[in-house]
Amino acid sequence: MSDDQPDREWKKGSAELLILSLLEQQPRHGYDIGKLIEARSGGALRFHVTTLYPLLNRLENRGLVEGKWVEQADQRRRRYYSLTAQGRKTLTRQRRDWREFVAAIGRVMEPGNA
Amino acid sequence: MPDWKREIERRLAGARMNPAAEHELIEELAQHLEDRYREMLSDNLDEAAASAAVLEELRDMDAKQWRQRRGKRRELEPVGMVASGRLMPDLAGDIRYGWRMMLRTPVLTLFAALSLALGIGANTTVFTIINSLLLHPIVAADPSRLAMVYETGVRDSREANSKLPLSYANFEDYTDSQQCFRGMAGFTPPQIFTLENQGGAENVFGEFVTAQYVDVLGIAPAAGRFFLPQEDRTPGSAPVVVMSYAAWKTRFGGSPEIIGRTLELNHLPYTVVGVAPRGFLGVSALFGPDVWLPATMAERGAFTGALSDRGKPLFRAFGRLKPGFTIQRAEAGMKPIAAALERQYPETNQGRVAAVRPLGDELFSSGGGAGGLAFGSAVLLTIVLLVLGIACSNVANLLLARAVSRRTEIALRLAIGANRARLIRQMLTESVLLSLLGCAGGLAVGYAGCRFVWSFVPANVARNMIAPRLDATVLFFALLVSLLSVFLFGLAPALRASKTDLAAALKEESRSSDRGRRAVSFANILLIAQVAFSMLCLITAALFFRSIQHAYAISPGFQTTRLALLLVDPRQAGYDQTRAEEFYREARRRVGGLPGVALVSWASGPPFWHSASRTIEIEGSEQRKRSDRIATVTFTVDTDYFTTMAIPTVAGRVFNENDREGTVPAAIVNQTLAKHYWPRSEPLGHRFRFSGDATWREVVGVVKNANYNTLGEEPQACVYVPLRQNFSYGMYLYVRSQEDPARLLPAMEREIRGMDASLEIGDVRTGSTLIQAVLWGPMVGVALLGVFGSLALTLASVGLYGVMAYSVSQRRREMGLRAALGAAPSVVLRLIMREGMTLVCYGIGAGMAAGLLAGRLLSRMLFGISPADPISLAAAAGALLVVAFLACYVPARSATRIDPMRALREG
Repeated sequence: MSDDQPDREWKKGSAELLILSLLEQQPRHGYDIGKLIEARSGGALRFHVTTLYPLLNRLENRGLVEGKWVEQADQRRRRYYSLTAQGRKTLTRQRRDWREFVAAIGRVMEPGNA
Repeated sequence: MPDWKREIERRLAGARMNPAAEHELIEELAQHLEDRYREMLSDNLDEAAASAAVLEELRDMDAKQWRQRRGKRRELEPVGMVASGRLMPDLAGDIRYGWRMMLRTPVLTLFAALSLALGIGANTTVFTIINSLLLHPIVAADPSRLAMVYETGVRDSREANSKLPLSYANFEDYTDSQQCFRGMAGFTPPQIFTLENQGGAENVFGEFVTAQYVDVLGIAPAAGRFFLPQEDRTPGSAPVVVMSYAAWKTRFGGSPEIIGRTLELNHLPYTVVGVAPRGFLGVSALFGPDVWLPATMAERGAFTGALSDRGKPLFRAFGRLKPGFTIQRAEAGMKPIAAALERQYPETNQGRVAAVRPLGDELFSSGGGAGGLAFGSAVLLTIVLLVLGIACSNVANLLLARAVSRRTEIALRLAIGANRARLIRQMLTESVLLSLLGCAGGLAVGYAGCRFVWSFVPANVARNMIAPRLDATVLFFALLVSLLSVFLFGLAPALRASKTDLAAALKEESRSSDRGRRAVSFANILLIAQVAFSMLCLITAALFFRSIQHAYAISPGFQTTRLALLLVDPRQAGYDQTRAEEFYREARRRVGGLPGVALVSWASGPPFWHSASRTIEIEGSEQRKRSDRIATVTFTVDTDYFTTMAIPTVAGRVFNENDREGTVPAAIVNQTLAKHYWPRSEPLGHRFRFSGDATWREVVGVVKNANYNTLGEEPQACVYVPLRQNFSYGMYLYVRSQEDPARLLPAMEREIRGMDASLEIGDVRTGSTLIQAVLWGPMVGVALLGVFGSLALTLASVGLYGVMAYSVSQRRREMGLRAALGAAPSVVLRLIMREGMTLVCYGIGAGMAAGLLAGRLLSRMLFGISPADPISLAAAAGALLVVAFLACYVPARSATRIDPMRALREG
């Protein structure tokens, strides 16, 4: 990724929002989160283990997500992350901020305004 | 495939993470890498390329990123493992962690807290009784310096039944001449007064007290004032009363306007001048009056000659000892005054000796003295401590079981550096939290328990009875008991659990391991102790229950089944002697005419009351020394009394119409008195007189002994004199019925009221309630013992069930194996049952031995049964066996239903 500077900057700003969004519906484990980001972005966004897990760690330390080991029949135990109440609030706020930001950028970039 | 874990471990080397957190992180990341690796293989990369690609993704891994890894949020992490070295943060952590552990197993927590609450609550209840009765017997400043002053009728003041009150005149002489007390005061026992108000007349209790009463007690009024010195000077001049706090609150709603209000008591108007302090019952531990009146009003209020007649001993006297004076020294100081009075007033004071006793003897005179009450309380306290012991061992068993299931966690903590002391502290913190929960519940149970005990108090005298004292002392006691219980139930599991064998535990051999077995065997010892404790509680309860049964069966010497009685005092309605005598005759005629009434008579007192006690002198033996005088219970009775009461005549005759004024004064004595005075000759025709009385009375009959003061008492000497020669106010109408006496009571009251509506009728009762009233105290005791016994049984059986069920669950594999090898369900059932019941039998044996020992200590409190009463022992053992059998049967049956295939697979 180091050869792809703009992508990296974008990701840094929005990665938290992406992870929180993915956890909104259901708890997921780290690998699942990484795969979903990659798939839904059509391969444009990709999180490696060295980015994803420290991020999850930070979110957990800030109390926005909570990790729990879950054992399932015929599978290895996995650590699943879920949104905390605080995380849910943060997600709502960040999503609103993001939309406002994108709208503002859009307005600035409209050909008539440029 | 590379060893992902090692790769990650190498890259995390600089992170200085907590070992447990690092271990988890490595596992999580390794999984991710493995998933990624498999994904690449499925994308048709070869193994070497896939490995390289995955490792490439790890390239910029920076150990520093992980320093904060899941700092506070991890369950296994810092709490209980690493001591920060600072007490408070560690403690706060322990508490938080303990709380979480409790919430994680809510059923276990609830059950443990409930067990403790019951055990602590039982202790709180009993302690509240002790606190109310023994620790704070009366409201007074420094009660230990207060002493009662009596006269005794005999030289030997050890004779228990001869503690006589003082006449007012004598009391004044003692007060003026004495040097031992800082002050002396006197009071009458509670008298029944008629309180007139808009709604009609009702009974209240009142005590006459002398002026220094409150000064000697050292109390201050809750409102208004107490009596003034001038109110204690001129007889009849001060119609004022001080009201009890409870009466003020219940009758007058605590209104401040009570001061200055007028109350009409026995047709005399009195002004309320003050309200006594809260909880003040006078000089009594149990029962207090509604009002206090100045002693100078005694003659106008209730007693003729109460103030001047030295032959009327109405006042109980007490004083506050001067510093340095002991009871003995005070008694030695009072004796010369009694001797001087004896010389000066020989006709009333002959043979009277002063005696000084601790106040407690007076307070608990009806309960076998303070010693008797203390002994009874000690028995109850021991029983409830046993119940608490059972509750604690129950909780200990639960914690042990949990400790076994937590041993992987504990082992992990030990492995990553927790020291054992820290671990024990953590586990004890959990126990303390649990015990505090139990303490809160225990206070609630204790409150309910006190409500239960006090519910035995009849509603119409509830305001006169002592109220339960749930104060800071009780709270402190409950806390102390809770903390004590922590060491009983928390320490052993904590010590055992922290000795976990690391290697074995970490291999996750959680099922049917040796450790589990050892915990069970320790649990077995606890279980035997539980069964033994509950056996002891049950034996005690059974003994006292049987003792009460015996008490009911004791014949009081008169019939109670078809007996009804009520009290009328014509003096309260202002009758003179002639009118009262006419009333007595007419009332007998009218009530005697009611359908269902067989016989009617009057007598001066109810049975089982502290009847008037007088000493007598026998004609012809006056020269004998005065210590031969004998205190006798004295009753004034009308004709037909003995047939109404079914007291058989042994010799001579009963009273008849000819025993009236102007004929030879007659008396009937009981067998004890006859045997004492005329051991060899027939008493009939002999004469005696009451001390201080000029009239000689001729013995015309001898009747069988009865119980006069209490049920099953030692035989007492008794004299009956005929009403028509010895007029008396305040008489009880006794009715012998042909049917259920309770049905007669309303008709009896109607007849009396029909004669004069202003007559106040009191104490309307049947004979059987007399017995119940006498046995009230013991009944409360037995009810409590019964409750505690059942509680012990319940807790022990639940404990037994828990241990058996746990043992079965630990041995599923063994049971499955047995079943697979062809053991019939009945064999498995027998195996488990035998194990459980063997423990139970050990416990019963130990409890039985303890019960026999305890019985010997209790023997003085038992009515007519042996402390080794086989029926009680058998009943206790039987009840325990049945309940224990059920508690073992349920888990044993579940053992027979184990599916061998599943059990073996799980193993």
